[in-house]
Amino acid sequence: MSGKTSLLKVILLGDGGVGKSSLMNRYVTNKFDTHLFHTIGVEFLNKDLEVDGHMVTLQIWDTAGQERFRSLRTPFYRGSDCCLLTFSVDDSQSFLNMGNWKKEFIYYADVKEPEKFPFVVLGNKVDVTERQVSAEDARQWCQENGNHPYYETSAKDDTNVAAAFEEAVRRVLATEERTEHLIHTDTVNLQRRPRSTTSCCS
Amino acid sequence: MAEPLMADSRRCRLTHFFLYDGSKVTGEGDPTRDGICYFYPEKTPIDQQELLCGQLAGVSRCVSELSSSPVRVLRLRHTKFAIRMEEDLFWALGCSVDFPTVSMSDFLDQLINLFCFYNGPVRQSYQENSREVLALCWSRYLFYLQAGSTELHYIFSCLHTIDSTHIDPLLLLKASLILQACQRCPLVLAGCILFRGKVVSSQMPPDLTVMVMAHETQTYNKDERPNEVSSRVPLSGAVTSTTVHLTLSQLQVLRSTNVDRESRSHSTPSKDSKLPRTRLSRTLSDTPSNDSNTDLEADAPLTPLRLDGLLSPEESAARPAASPPPSHASLRSPEISPFPNRKGPRSGADEEEDEDEKSYYYSFHGGGSDPGCRTPGQEGLAEGLGTSRGTSGNICGGAALPGVGDTNQTLVPMTLYQHRVNGLVLVLLVEPRLQEDADAMEEVYHSSLASLNGLEAHLRTVAPGPPGPQGPYLFAHYDCVQNTLITNVSGGGGRGPGGSFVRAAALLHSHFWNSEALQETIIRSATTAVYATRSVAQETYFLQHGGSVRNSGVPNHQDTAFSLPSKARHRLLKHGVSLL
Repeated sequence: MSGKTSLLKVILLGDGGVGKSSLMNRYVTNKFDTHLFHTIGVEFLNKDLEVDGHMVTLQIWDTAGQERFRSLRTPFYRGSDCCLLTFSVDDSQSFLNMGNWKKEFIYYADVKEPEKFPFVVLGNKVDVTERQVSAEDARQWCQENGNHPYYETSAKDDTNVAAAFEEAVRRVLATEERTEHLIHTDTVNLQRRPRSTTSCCS
Repeated sequence: MAEPLMADSRRCRLTHFFLYDGSKVTGEGDPTRDGICYFYPEKTPIDQQELLCGQLAGVSRCVSELSSSPVRVLRLRHTKFAIRMEEDLFWALGCSVDFPTVSMSDFLDQLINLFCFYNGPVRQSYQENSREVLALCWSRYLFYLQAGSTELHYIFSCLHTIDSTHIDPLLLLKASLILQACQRCPLVLAGCILFRGKVVSSQMPPDLTVMVMAHETQTYNKDERPNEVSSRVPLSGAVTSTTVHLTLSQLQVLRSTNVDRESRSHSTPSKDSKLPRTRLSRTLSDTPSNDSNTDLEADAPLTPLRLDGLLSPEESAARPAASPPPSHASLRSPEISPFPNRKGPRSGADEEEDEDEKSYYYSFHGGGSDPGCRTPGQEGLAEGLGTSRGTSGNICGGAALPGVGDTNQTLVPMTLYQHRVNGLVLVLLVEPRLQEDADAMEEVYHSSLASLNGLEAHLRTVAPGPPGPQGPYLFAHYDCVQNTLITNVSGGGGRGPGGSFVRAAALLHSHFWNSEALQETIIRSATTAVYATRSVAQETYFLQHGGSVRNSGVPNHQDTAFSLPSKARHRLLKHGVSLL
């Protein structure tokens, strides 16, 4: 595993306007733009990083949260290694919708064992003073829905953003190690991909 | 006079092209070959080259001196030539006689414009480079302009656009939003997005888009020009930039339509407070109602360009918000017409309104859609069409001087920024100083990178799909303003009904060009009939298969040809073509 850079695909899901694009931009380019367009369909950025001695290229897929873009985004769920469920702490509806996002992801990504798939939950916009979702409620939801790790982030203030993405990487690596441990070594591991899936020519 | 051989009659039926420099041949003893800068086909024996160059240049000079106007077309028995003369420089492009004259002249204009765009003024580049190097350029541009084109594309000299029938319109919107985001940097003049050599979205006038695409094609083929001033931008290997040359009028168009600069940049929030509209970034959902919107849409003589028709209603409503309120129009200099072919000042009455509309239409309609040109008057028509093509207007009269392609016009060096993501390319025309401004450069790069990645992923997964069943009819719809073509005629079509349809379209396109008053026409043979109609902004051609045998040629109210107009109206609606 070590010594080789692997490509991990993580996908950001959540209601429109919770800050998925901002989280991605903050993490990859360390910029925050208050004037972002609504995302149409999907977008992605790559970032190389090292987590616990593993070199990985994190491919972060940002998706459109609005319902009308559903048919554009869902084909790109497949092949994700981790799903970042995102809501905004100042929008209780976005919190309530997380269950739907999880279901949509499991369905379209065709996840075989949903209970083992790594999800990370992000409560974004903690810089906002009027919260509608408390940290306890969020933690409780994570506890009840598969014991997902929960991070309170702010793309605007750069709070916890890197920590959340690194946690996603750790979860993926942990899952892969578990799988490797269980599967005999002479089988072909279809989970791990070489990094050649992107930027083949430039 | 020598009848040139019919060389290669495939494709454009281009037979010859040459550039002859008369200043190299002044004395009696000077051999003609000294003046031949470039000759196509390159394998032509030098004697033949001399014969043709000498005779055509001589005849043209003689005629232009007699008539005191430059020669634009020379017609021989089997070939005709589009001619361009500028001082001692003489260009000729030969085609077979059945190719429309207007298309031939457009082709020559495009070719010369391409050369100047990438190499600067012709005479200067011949002083700085060897003939061999520049010959390579000419042959590349010749190849580029002919590559991948169908016969219909030649006839209309139109852009290659992505086949939007299989593409979610939202993706076209996404592309145009990427371009808008880039324009938040004030050094970016205009841009376009290409996918596999076809236009997905463009903010530039069509004549500029054509030229910008030539570079795309070259770099895609990993085929660097020898004298290219290319610099790698430190940001990423995917970004390159090269120097290009714009005429003052082209630059004027880009700068004058590059509106609302202040409100796009983050640095001046004061402007925002004056404009109670939402930001560009909220185009999709937060749509302020804008009164001018309805006027613009209703007034537009154009078929709403493809994008328009495809945009969601919210987006259509939001677009005018991007143009400034009328009060800002006066800030721009109205006395400098952004239209290169406009000869006189415009009638002042609707100046302001037009300025405003222009700025609005520009990014989507490519600069030529001036409502002022809509009047069916002769001038309006000629100018409208001429402008839309970005070429010199009047071909038959021979009096109009070339505008855009004037090689002796001042050319301003600009930079072409190109960011490639696999088959997708973002091309931006930028002020040269962007390259020195690392922050601005980075901003442009980062503001578009994720979206370009995404758009590429989307477009890659769109299966091109087999061309659907052709249906019982053929049609071609040419948008003169955007310089685009929608058709269900497949590429090959040399024979059969496709062939006759293309021939009919070529013939009628010439007729439309020659007689401004002609609006609708039907031409027919014993077996088939083609209906054609046009407005200032569009030309539409329609053929219905399986005509009845009652068509005897004698006027007869039961003749099926007379039902063609209503059939065309009905059938073409589903292609987004409205003939009402």
